Amino acid sequence: MKTWIKVLSVLIFASVLVSFLVFYFLYNKPHPNYETMNADYTVSAADLYKSFTANKAEAGTMYNGKVIAITGKLSKVEVADSLTICVFVFNKGMFGDEGLRCTMLPNYCGQVKKIPPDTEVRLKGYCTGFNDTDVILDKCSIVKQ
Amino acid sequence: MKKLILIILSLSAVALAGHAQKFITKTGHIKFYSDSPLEKIEAHNRQVKAGLDVATGDFQFIVLLKSFEFVKALMQEHFNENYLESDKFPNATFIGKVSNIKDFNTGKDGLYDATVEGKLTIHGITRQVKEKGSLEVKEGKITGKAKFNILLSDYSIKIPGAVTNNISKSIEITVDVILDILN
Repeated sequence: MKTWIKVLSVLIFASVLVSFLVFYFLYNKPHPNYETMNADYTVSAADLYKSFTANKAEAGTMYNGKVIAITGKLSKVEVADSLTICVFVFNKGMFGDEGLRCTMLPNYCGQVKKIPPDTEVRLKGYCTGFNDTDVILDKCSIVKQ
Repeated sequence: MKKLILIILSLSAVALAGHAQKFITKTGHIKFYSDSPLEKIEAHNRQVKAGLDVATGDFQFIVLLKSFEFVKALMQEHFNENYLESDKFPNATFIGKVSNIKDFNTGKDGLYDATVEGKLTIHGITRQVKEKGSLEVKEGKITGKAKFNILLSDYSIKIPGAVTNNISKSIEITVDVILDILN
């Protein structure tokens, strides 16, 4: 076999292999680890809620899809199916309590269930938006103070 | 004076009855499922806010698109950034009615067929829809279930040519909400 054919074959094989590996790793890349990520914003729970109720579009542009650390007095912890949710209530409306709902990562569910209401807590999570009554933070963890 | 007390009591009773007719959840579940020749994709959203007024049949839900969870991070990224453009259109909503609510009795446990019709808004496009589902009353709660299909083209959701065989043109939506009485 001529040398140039060998070189070309190796190059084609290498590029196919590299393309496959790039595709494989991109396709299977892990979800972000929100627990270890730095917060894009640090804000009080009340101020975050006020931002969304004052101007949903503006607050959405700023906070949606971002990691946010919040502080506030925990109103209650709700458990629904597989979810454990820390709730900060600031208002009452057509859908009952309104405020901030923080869905906890599985390894924090046990801890938050033991926190009594009105305790000041600091949480960090991924903001998915405002549903017209509540600001939703997902994948939340407790931030050590 | 007696009349006044009676009027006040009657008004309070009406107000309480009106309040007791609303059932809500903030942890409803919506699944979407795409079955294409190359790939099966599903995503779950377990933070759906929904409300049903059993007196009027008014039913609504709102779904934050960034709350959908996929097995693959890349799919979740594409869903939010390229297909649903969730920065521009952060939620999907349904506002409508259970049109046969008169057949429904919250005081009696049972499974009822439900016809839901109203306006479904996805990706900034609103369309009138009419779908069949069920409402089940059990131990003071109402479980609403429905399964229906939507066409991506109806909501101007464009799939790039390179992955056109990976995503079905028709997406199956499954709604499963357990509504609690609003206290």
